[in-house]
Amino acid sequence: MEHGAATLAQGLTTAWTLVAIAFLALAILAYVAVRNRKRRANAEQAIQTFRSLDIEAFRNLVSLDEEAFLRNNLPPNKFREIKRQRAWAAFIYAWEAGKAATELAEVGHAAQRSHDPKIAVFGVQVAESAFRLRLQTIGACLRLLTEIAVPELESRSAPPLVDQYQRTAETLFRFGRFSSGQFPADERART
Amino acid sequence: MLLANWHRVLSLFLLILPHALLGVLAVVLYQRRLHRRFPCFFAYVLYEIAKFAPLFALYATQGVTGKGYAYAYSVSLLISIILRFGVIDEVSKDLFRGSNFLRVSARRALQFVTGLLIIVGVLIAVFATGDSGARWTAGTFVVNRGAAMVQCGLLLTLLLFSRFLGLSWRRPAFGIALGLGVLTSVDLAYSALRAEFTGRVSAQLLNLVVTATYLVCVLIWIGYSLSPEAEPVTSLAILPHDEVETWNMELQHLLRD
Repeated sequence: MEHGAATLAQGLTTAWTLVAIAFLALAILAYVAVRNRKRRANAEQAIQTFRSLDIEAFRNLVSLDEEAFLRNNLPPNKFREIKRQRAWAAFIYAWEAGKAATELAEVGHAAQRSHDPKIAVFGVQVAESAFRLRLQTIGACLRLLTEIAVPELESRSAPPLVDQYQRTAETLFRFGRFSSGQFPADERART
Repeated sequence: MLLANWHRVLSLFLLILPHALLGVLAVVLYQRRLHRRFPCFFAYVLYEIAKFAPLFALYATQGVTGKGYAYAYSVSLLISIILRFGVIDEVSKDLFRGSNFLRVSARRALQFVTGLLIIVGVLIAVFATGDSGARWTAGTFVVNRGAAMVQCGLLLTLLLFSRFLGLSWRRPAFGIALGLGVLTSVDLAYSALRAEFTGRVSAQLLNLVVTATYLVCVLIWIGYSLSPEAEPVTSLAILPHDEVETWNMELQHLLRD
């Protein structure tokens, strides 16, 4: 008898939990639907966001040489404090780069639908670069958060993120040249 | 008289209208040639229309037992579930079109999510089997609950993944995903409650909710199928020449410094 009541109670708990999950899913769907209506790919804003990121500052913050220098010249407590601050600053850069990459991906993805086949091809390139950058920023953010939590850990360099950022910038640069009608001959030949 | 039968009238209205509108949707999909882009969704729509007539006949016929109707309903539901998985696959392919990198990596991520959701669905089915008094009905709803869980999770993952990566949906694909997302979410809640409450009154009330949701979903599908595509990239093409050049110069500095 008691066992039956407990099973019934467990079943009801599961049912109401699933109802709660379903309502949460509906709320997320409503949010996504509303956002999707308002959202438009804005190249200008994407370019501005991307341009505002200082790659050198980021490179400096994640430099292994800089870290080794600080480790050798600062007392451990001070080093941990400074490293946390540097990792936090680098995290903000990576986070913003990720946001910029999302915007660029939107622009690139929308460009793929262009009636002009050349713009469509470049849309693919911009989007691919931006997707890669977006995924790499996630990895970088996770690693930087680990460094903030455990500053004693020796950092590894972050060249993939920097390289990806530069590749994305190069693709965008080529796209910019192209849309302004000054696409270099060698690039034209490549496409 | 009408007031006394309001529940029956409303049930019939909510049962017939969505299926009539599905016919409209099929015509819209065909006319806009969306049946070529989304063949599985088109098949799903046609199947939903086709299954309605025999099921409704069984429901309305006096001689047919509740058990007979339950068997027919379960089989038709199973085919619907399979087709819905096909639709989700179709929508995800459309979303990741034109990007080899995403096609590969996103597909892997989706397979991982599907695996996780299936495990959760099976665990829930095993540990919360529902009211054993009406085994067949409860079993059907347990299966539907697991499937709804997986499908709803997959659609939410797709929608959130696209938002996170900045993927732009084409209107019909977004509409299909949104409508199916709403349908599977409500299906999840409905099946969870139906597996526990097998009484007549609760069943009638829940049926009203689910048929009303179905009507909303069909309207979403029709709305998004009819709405025009967003203008393809305007901003990059219309950027003023000098602004593009300024941007080029700054990027050049960024790359060379």
